[in-house]
Order: sequence, then structure tokens, then C-alpha cells
Amino acid sequence: MRKLALAMSALAGLSLAATAAYADIKVGFVTSLSGAGASIGIPYSEGIKAAYEFQSEVGGEKIQLIQLDDGSDPSAATRAARKLVEEEGVDLLIGTATAPSTIAMIAVANELKVPMIAVSPINVAPAEGGERWGIAVPQTPQLMVKVIADHMKKEGVKSVGFIGYSDAWGDFVYNGAKDAEAEGGPKVTTNERYARTDTSVTGQVLKVIATQPDAFINGGSGTQGALPLLELRKRGFTGDFYGTPSLLNADFIRVGGKAAEGVEVSAGPVIVTDQLPDGHFAKEIGLKFHEAYKKVNGKDVADGFSGYSFDGWLIFLNAAETALEKAEPGTPEFRMALNDAIFSTKELAGVHAVYNFTPESSYGVDERSLVIVKLVDGKWVYQPESN
Amino acid sequence: MSRLQLRLVAIAAVLLVAAAPLFLDPFSVTLANYIGIYALVALGLVLITGVGGMVSFGQASFMGIAAYSTAWASALMDYSPWFGLLLALVLTGLVATILGAVTLRLQGHFLSLSTIAWGLAIYFLFGNVDGLGHFNGIPSIPPITIGSFALISSERIYYLIWAVLIAAMLLSHNLLNSREGRAMRALRGGDAMVESVGVNAFRIKLITFVISALLAALSGWLYAHMGRFVSPTPFDVTRGIEYLMMAMVGGSGYLLGAVVGAALITLLKDWVQDFLPLVAPNAAGQLEIVVFSALFILFLQYARDGIVPFVAKFLPQVRRERPRAVEPLPRRTQPEPGQTLLKVDNAKRAFGGLMAVNDVSFEVRSGEILGLIGPNGAGKSTMFNLITGALPATGGKVVFTSSDITNEPQRLIARAGVARTFQHVKLRPKMTLLDNVLLGTYARTQSGFFKGALGLDRAEEEQARHEAMMQLERVGLGDRPFELAGNLPLGNQRILEIARALAADPILLVLDEPAAGLRRQEKLALAKLLRSLRDDENLTILLVEHDMEFVMGLVNRIVVMEFGSKISEGEPSTVRNDARVQEAYLGGVA
Amino acid sequence: MTPDIAAILALDGIATGAIYVLMALGFVLIFAVTRVVFVPFGDIAAFTALTLAALELGRLPGTVGLVIGLAVLATLMELYSILRAGSYERIPRALLFYLVLPVAIAGLVWITSGTLWPMPFRIALALLLILPVAPLLDRIVYRPIADASVLLLLTVSVALHFALVGLGLLFFGPDGARTESLTDAMFMLGNIPISGQTILIVVAAAIFCGLLYLFFDFTLLGKALHATALNRTGARLMGIRPERSGTIAYLAGSVLAGVSGILIAPVNTIFYDSGFLLGLKAFVGAIIGGLISFPVTAIGSIFVGLLESFASFQSSAFKEVIVFSVLIPVLLWRSYTFQHTEEDMDE
Repeated sequence: MRKLALAMSALAGLSLAATAAYADIKVGFVTSLSGAGASIGIPYSEGIKAAYEFQSEVGGEKIQLIQLDDGSDPSAATRAARKLVEEEGVDLLIGTATAPSTIAMIAVANELKVPMIAVSPINVAPAEGGERWGIAVPQTPQLMVKVIADHMKKEGVKSVGFIGYSDAWGDFVYNGAKDAEAEGGPKVTTNERYARTDTSVTGQVLKVIATQPDAFINGGSGTQGALPLLELRKRGFTGDFYGTPSLLNADFIRVGGKAAEGVEVSAGPVIVTDQLPDGHFAKEIGLKFHEAYKKVNGKDVADGFSGYSFDGWLIFLNAAETALEKAEPGTPEFRMALNDAIFSTKELAGVHAVYNFTPESSYGVDERSLVIVKLVDGKWVYQPESN
Repeated sequence: MSRLQLRLVAIAAVLLVAAAPLFLDPFSVTLANYIGIYALVALGLVLITGVGGMVSFGQASFMGIAAYSTAWASALMDYSPWFGLLLALVLTGLVATILGAVTLRLQGHFLSLSTIAWGLAIYFLFGNVDGLGHFNGIPSIPPITIGSFALISSERIYYLIWAVLIAAMLLSHNLLNSREGRAMRALRGGDAMVESVGVNAFRIKLITFVISALLAALSGWLYAHMGRFVSPTPFDVTRGIEYLMMAMVGGSGYLLGAVVGAALITLLKDWVQDFLPLVAPNAAGQLEIVVFSALFILFLQYARDGIVPFVAKFLPQVRRERPRAVEPLPRRTQPEPGQTLLKVDNAKRAFGGLMAVNDVSFEVRSGEILGLIGPNGAGKSTMFNLITGALPATGGKVVFTSSDITNEPQRLIARAGVARTFQHVKLRPKMTLLDNVLLGTYARTQSGFFKGALGLDRAEEEQARHEAMMQLERVGLGDRPFELAGNLPLGNQRILEIARALAADPILLVLDEPAAGLRRQEKLALAKLLRSLRDDENLTILLVEHDMEFVMGLVNRIVVMEFGSKISEGEPSTVRNDARVQEAYLGGVA
Repeated sequence: MTPDIAAILALDGIATGAIYVLMALGFVLIFAVTRVVFVPFGDIAAFTALTLAALELGRLPGTVGLVIGLAVLATLMELYSILRAGSYERIPRALLFYLVLPVAIAGLVWITSGTLWPMPFRIALALLLILPVAPLLDRIVYRPIADASVLLLLTVSVALHFALVGLGLLFFGPDGARTESLTDAMFMLGNIPISGQTILIVVAAAIFCGLLYLFFDFTLLGKALHATALNRTGARLMGIRPERSGTIAYLAGSVLAGVSGILIAPVNTIFYDSGFLLGLKAFVGAIIGGLISFPVTAIGSIFVGLLESFASFQSSAFKEVIVFSVLIPVLLWRSYTFQHTEEDMDE
């Protein structure tokens, strides 16, 4: 008898999920509004709001944006992506804050043949047949690390200590640094890890100091990225600090205080839009982004993440114009056309980079996407490079 | 409602599950897949937590071990997912066996806390062991293929998931109604009773633990090939806790509770995700977990047993048939009357400095009822525990049918033919009278876990049920075999314990204060029963008792203890006139 | 590893351990009196740190909203149960404790927000504000199920922790905070620098251990708590109301959580969800003490701090694996030495 009860309840629940009607262009956006990735996920969300404020229609078609939270959990991200495609019938997926969740979403995009714009730096896997349904907007970690490593080399740094998160991000930065080392960059002396919730990195810092590197590269992110810097200075380390764009947020500066002063990071130009020379590709569009961002979020842009959402949106808008000429939104043909258009993006200037995608590659940025910025008196200052 | 009707309902439910993808939209099928996968883990939790009484927060890590095994095998090493399944089961089973062997001797909440500990440790291992993709996980896991048919879409893998789930439920259902399954159900409430019927409680716990881990492993394997991607996060302890919530919400004491709980929580989450942005557009993500946790707390405050038992109250009861008369289980031959059956030789037991039993010797002869009496604190119960193996002796020897049983484990003494009852009744109040007595037949039957799960134990099970029914009838409780034991008055609970002991076909029946708390009529009936066991079946009985009147009229001989020593022994009339006995009982006034 | 490094690690471990001591004592205190494994303990410590950080920036801490919300909910529940019992004379008292006092504190912080008080005042304000949280949660969540099994209470605690993390994100936002150092003093012990902050942490932990000891051994209230811990029914028969003992235990626990939060805020960035792992590690210490013994708990917590510190040097990636794996042998040892009764298991 109990089995019947089950079947009834299962049915009652399942039939609640209704099929959606197809109308405007629908875009599904997944981000982490809770969980460990929330400190990145919320800026992503703010970025997409700014993007929607910037332009919410394309080719005369209204765009409908649906946002879901994945709680920083890959299975929730998978479910959210499936829900957006299967229930809402979106034409495009954008997401999400953590790398594993983004990889999980790509798997859904590949299976359901929906184009996906990844806003986290990930390695995009192609589908079974080899066709690609996803691109990644951000600079690859290799590129982020390479740019800062080249800068280090130029400044005469021979060896560098590493402490990073014990998560996907830490892996990315460490691997990037190792790649740079293989190409003649500074030698990486340590691979120490800490968790975002750790109270102390004394042990790791002592190990770094014991290897006597010239400088230190930080594989943490955001506020807690300041922890190794504080501890290194406290333990008497005098070398320079280097980092990646993930350090850029307001609280990093506040928490890092004196210890963080002088840290140099490779960063998307969006961080220093107003300091860019006129004529820089990111200047004009960057100012528009800052304006839209301030309007919807009531504060200034203080991180690089929101810019990725914005650039993802720009890539979508650009591709959608082409795709609309070929098919009706909400159809498999439209998704196909949109995907083709995304993969033929040419010289599209965003707030972070100039994007070029080809059907062979899911990565569309080059070294123009990263500038060196330095923390001076609590502000990020653009460091024009004389190449 | 008859069994036939029940079967029809079950078949209809299975057909409904089979037809579901035809009328459900794609996302509902996706949700159903998640429900199936979560229900498998929750099913394991029902077995270990609801049935076995061991709360585990760590099931997600077993799921993770399996998911990572198959991901490694199929995505990184290019083996077939079916090899991945084999590897997943073997590896998970191995880890569970080792963890279980180390931690299952822990008691109560310590055991649960240890599951949090190893759950966290295993989670951090996933992210840090080289070759497993670290925190980025392993992408591009191939789909499961059957022949050349790849289970790539939601609709295709749906059938595999639900077939596995339904099979697992059927096997679990069979198992719980088998010999070993009854032992599993009896674990909840302590080891002493199950050991006393010859069950190796630790072995049962370990096997239950491994079964629940293997169910999680199946789920992990399906999960990996459905999402085609694994990373550490879904196998965190917090997820393990979520699975526990599912089992508890559904009803952790019921197999169906796993499915109902998994369905309810998955659908509720989906609904909350849709609903919250309408009321709180700016804080939906943050509020989701708050609303969800609050609902769960409310649920635990007001409906702790879960949904299934609540709903079941309104459904027609299934009629259960009384056991059929079949060929009875083989019986032991009782020894010739008058021989030495049990010999206690200078037994000693100290608690710290106190000698609870000090150099006591006596023997029990076959075919007699021996009473062991003495005032409070005389050491009777300690003596009793030395004989049944519940306590190790400090010195001396206990010999039963010419083999030395001193310090043997309880269950081996039980298997040798000593059956006991408890001073504080130890029954399983939520099991039926028949099931409680069936526990007694454990040592006389052989069917193991596999036979039980596959239903190959039916013939033996019929015999055991028949035996249990006979014992119930003999003690006068045969009219309502399907009543729950907890509903009996205390007097009848004591009688039920005797029926359980008799079902073990003992040579020696050891009763610990069987008359305590009984009314006069009940005492007379008990005495009559014991007499008939001795006279008609040559059963030997050792009685530890307090109630002189009850003992005097019943026993052949009496051993009297005081302050840990034997002070008198002999026939009732002799003992009654012993000055030392009178002094002990009357406090030296005589 | 050189002796210098070992010494630095040891000092660091002791400082972390001392914070764990405070939290672990709170765990033991609450568990002993109420049988609740108060998982959200770490969250409350983290909330204190975030409250202090907000006050430092002259912002209104999210705790104000949290306290007011909880107070209203608790008052409604209390009034409902009073009305059902018909004992109207309890209404004024209930209103005072569940509504007026917490809201007054929250109001005080609200009115004064924006003014930058000197550090000691800020700390006092943060502590005052966090104080009602645990007792209110007790009223709302645990009181209705006070008679449930330890396992059910544990499960409820875990759910409550999730709820608090969500509320934390809502009220405090996703970014971490770090407060100003309580002291910048530095001392040299041979070659080894010791920060004033480390000394402060250890001293504070020692003081609170001492206070707890005095409280339990020399005050009537403490003895009543102890009695409740040993035997609820017995205590009730002696006229000690377990509910009241519970409230006091939660208040005392709040103080411990608050102090540990304030001590940790300057040495580590605290996020809305930092509490769980902090609490869990402190909890390992509490388990070493068998959730009963205060002195063994203190030693165990220091041990966890040291273990963590040395593990982070030896193999930082596997630090958590090491710390949590250690719990298993500890639990085994505990379970063999701990006298348990079989009746405990009956549901």
C-alpha cells in the first residue's frame, strides 16, 4: 500500500513542472548567491544586472533574463542548467562562479546542445562528437599568471614562493606558475595551500620563507587572499608580492592594509578604466559599464568578476544579431546559429579584453586583456608597460 | 487488504514509474533522475539509521568514492563504465569495511560524530589526491552503454536509475523480512539481547554498514555517469546531512521513506527556487537555505517519524496470514535427566575492590529446576551474567555440557544451548510478537544475507515462523501474533521473553527474576508453564529469583547466596530451615 | 624543521588552540546542561567578529536585524504557550526577557550606529548584541523538543546551522572582515617573536576557564547547572527548572562564543560561513573531553590547535584530513573509557 502513496506523491510533484511557452530570446544565468563561491558569485550577478541595464533587447527582440542560484554546488548547477533549458527553454546559458560548477554546466550544454558562455576560467570540454558549445570569457589562468610572470622576469625576479587556496583556483594559479617556470619564468619554490576558512597560515609562510624566494605569488582570492601577505610581512619577508586578478576586491585592500601595499597583479583593464589612455579598447565600453553598474547596484565597480558577466553579455548580443537573421528564438536552429555566431566573434572589444573566437577554440582573449596594476596608497594604479 | 491486492498496487506503481517519461516533460524526468539517485543513498540510510539505529552523516563520501572510482576508470583510463561500477563497488566496500571495523564499536552519538570526522577527511582527500583532477574535478565522463546503446539523455538513464532503485528496494524488503534482517532490526536498542540469541551483533552492524555504503556507491556511479562530471563539492559532509534529512523526512524506519523523502526534498527545493524570487527578488539565493532549514526544523519538531508512517495510518492495513503448519525445525536431543549439565567452579568476579561473586561453586543437573536466591545485593545477577557470558569472570570456571564456557562470548554460549531472559525486559517494542520470538530461532537457522535478499530462504523461514508460532501458543500468547510487543503489559512481556528463549530450543533455560512485577494469577500461570517444560520436555531451568514463595513451590533444589558467597544449597525444605538463610533474609532477628 | 620554526609553530598552535578552548568549553557547557550538540556555536562566534567589524566601519551590523527578528519570533512562541497554559501572570516576565531586553540592546546599537566608539565600547556593544542570539534560538528551536534524543537534537542543530549560514550571508554579505588589532605589541623570546595578540588570546582563554571553574564550583547557579547536567529529572525534583538552566547555559555559551569571535577577528579574516570549520575543530577538542570534562576539553583543544599548526607546515593540503582523522582514534579511546548505558540507545 505504501508504494501507491509514493507513486501519487511523485506524480503530483512532477506534474507541477510545466512546459514553458517560447517567446522572446531567453537567457539563463546561473551564479552562486550562497555557499563558498558567493563572494565571487554575487559580483557576477551584479555584473549581469548592469549588462541587462546596458542593453536588454537585440535586433528588436526583447531579451528575458532568468537567474538561478547554484549554492556553489556543481550538482545544483547541473540541475539549474537543465531546468533553464528543459523547463524555461533558454537559448543561451551563462554561468557560474566556481570552476567545478561551470564545468558541470558545460556538460549539460554539450548534451542539450545549447550555447554556453562560461564566466569562470575553465578548460572547456567539447561534446562527444567534438563540436563545441561553450566558450570561456575570462583570461585563462595560464595567461593571468604568464603576464604577471613576464612582468616579474622583467623586474629581475628569479624565484617565487607560492601559497594558494586548497581548491580549484589554487590549482589553476599553481599550474600557471609552473607553466611560466617551464618557459623560463621565475622558479616556483613552494606549493603550499590553505583553506578559505583557515585561521592561520603560519606553517605555510614559514615554509615559503625557508626557501628564500625573491618574491611571492598569491594563489588565493578576494579578502582571504590577504592572509598570506599579512603573515609573510609579520614574519619578516621583504620580497615583492605578485598576484592574479582574483585578489581584486575592496575588502582585500582594507584587510591587507599596509602589508598589501605595493602588491602587483595582472588584471583586466576594467579595474582601472578611468586611468586608461584614451583610445584604449576598454576605455569607452568600460565607462558605459561603470555607469550602468552604478545605476543598478548603487556602488562603484570594485572587482573584475562583474566585468566578465558584462563581457559575456556583449558577446551574446553581438552573436544574437547574426543568429536572428537565420532562425527564430526558442528553436534548435536558433541555438545552433547563435553558437556558430559566438564562435565566429571577431575583434569584439569588451571591458576586459578584445574577443576573437574560432570554431577550434573556446578561448578568445590575448595578452591585451591583462594590464599590470599596483596597489598604491590603497588604490589600484595602472602600470603602463613599455614593451 | 490482502497480499494479492498489495502486489497489484506494487505492480501498478512500477508500471507507472515505467510509463512516467512518456507523459512527463523533460525537466521532470531530470528531477526524477535526481530523486532516484538520492533515494538510493537514502535507502542505505534507512537500513543503517532507521533500521540499525546507527546515524551516519558520511554517506555522501561513499557516494564520492564510487563516483571518483568510475570517473577515474572511464574518463581518465578509458575503461568501460561497467568496469567503473565494479571498481566503485569493490573500493567502496573495502573502505566501508575498514571504517566500519574501526568505528562501529563506538556507541550512540560518538558513532555519528565519527561519521562526520571521516566524512570530512574523505572529502578533503578527493580534492588533494594527485591524479583525480584536484578541486577542478574530472570532466568528460563517458555515458553508460548497454551494448551499443548509450544512455546519454535524461529519458534513457531514467530507466536504469529507477530499475536499480526498485531492485534495491525489493532486495532490501526481502532482506528485512529474513533471518539476518530481523537481527538488523533488533540492533536498535542495544547489543545484549541480540547477542543472547546467538547473533554476532558487530558482524550484523558491519554488514549493514557495508550494504548502506554499497547503495551509496551505486548512487555515486549513476551520478557520475548522469552528470558526466565529478568534483569534490557534491560529496561534502553537508550533502551527507542532506541525505539524512531525506531519510528522516520520508520516515527513516521505512524503505519507502527513502523515496518519499528524496522526492519531497528535491521537489521542495525546486519549488523554493521558483517561489522565493517572487517574494524576495534580491535575496532569493540566501533565503533558499534559510527557508529550507526552517521547514526541516519545523518538521522535526512536529512530525519526527516522517511522512510514510503518518500517511500509512490512513491507509488500509495489510492482512497478515498466520504461519502455516510445516515440518518443524530439527530439535536437539535433551540430555538424560540427572546428569551434571552446568558446573560452576569457584567463580569469582570483582568490581574494583568489591567481590560481587566470591568463590561460588554449584552445579545444575539436567531435568531439574534450580533456584538461585538471595537478598538484594547478594550477587545473584552477577553470577547470572557470568554464566551467560554477559560479564567476564575474574577467576574460576564455568563448564556447560563438559565444555569450558568461562569468558566465552555470549553468543557462543547461547549457541551451545543456553537461552536466557532479562531482569529488565529486553524486547523490541516496535516489532511484532511473532518477530520477537522469531529472533530466538536465529541460532537454529542458516540463511545468510544473500539468501535472505534474494528470497531463497522461504522454506526455512516458513519452518522458523511455524516454530515461533508454536512457542507463542505454548506460552499463551498465540491469539495476536501481529500485535506490537510494546503494547503488551509487563507480565506478558516477561512471558514473551520466555517464548523467545524457548524458540532457541535450549538445553538450559536461564531466567532472571521472571516473576518480578507479575500479579498472583500470572505467577501461577508462569509456574505451571515452567513445571510443564521440566516434566514434559526434560528442559533444565536455572531460575534467579527474589520471590521466595514462587521459588519454594516450583524448584527441585535451591542455591542461596549472600554478600557474594554461597551460604546454603539443597532441597527447598532443607534450605528453608537453614539458620544462616533465615538470618540472611530476616536480618539476624531469628 | 628547525627549533625556531617549531617554536613559532607551537606558539601559533597554542594561540589557535586557546580560541578553540573557549569554543569547546561552550560546546561542553551547553551539551552538559541541555544535551544539545550546539553546532551553530561557531556561527555565533563568526557573527560576533562580523558585528565588531561593522561597528569599526561605523556601519549598522546585520546582527541588529537578526536579534530583533529572533526576539519577535521567540516572544510570539512564548506568548502562545503561555496563553495555552492559561498562566497569564508569566506574561510580563516573558515580554521583558524575550522582547524588551533584546530589542533594547539592538535599539541601542541602532541609535548609536554611525558614531565611532573607542575600541572597548565597540567590543562591549558587539558582545551585548550577540548575547541574546543563542538563548533566543534555544527558545525557538530547542525548547519545543527538549525531550528528544541526542541524535534528533544533533540533526536539528545541523539544520539550524544551515539556516544561520543563510541568514549570515543575508545580513553580513559575502565578504570577509578583519578587525583592528587589539594590540600591536611585540615581544622577543630569544629569537622568537611573540605578538601581544597571541598573549592576549591565551590570557583571555585562561581567564574564562578560571571564571567558568569558579562559577561551577562556588555559585549556587553554577551548582544548579551542574545538577541539571547530571540528572535532569533529579534537578527538576529539586526545584531547578531545566529550561532556566538551559537559558543560562546558552547565555554563558554566548559569552564564550562572543569572546572567541572577538579574539579571532583581528588575526583572521572571518566570513559569514567561517564558523562551521572553526566550530568543528573546537568540537574535536570537546570530544576529546568526552563532552563532559572541562579540563580535558581544554587540553584537547590546545592539542587540536598544535596539530593543525604543525600539519599546515608539514603538509598544508592534507591539514584538514589529518585533523579530522585524528578524531577517530580519539573517539575510539573515548568510547572504551566512557561508561555508557544500553538504555541510551532506545528510541
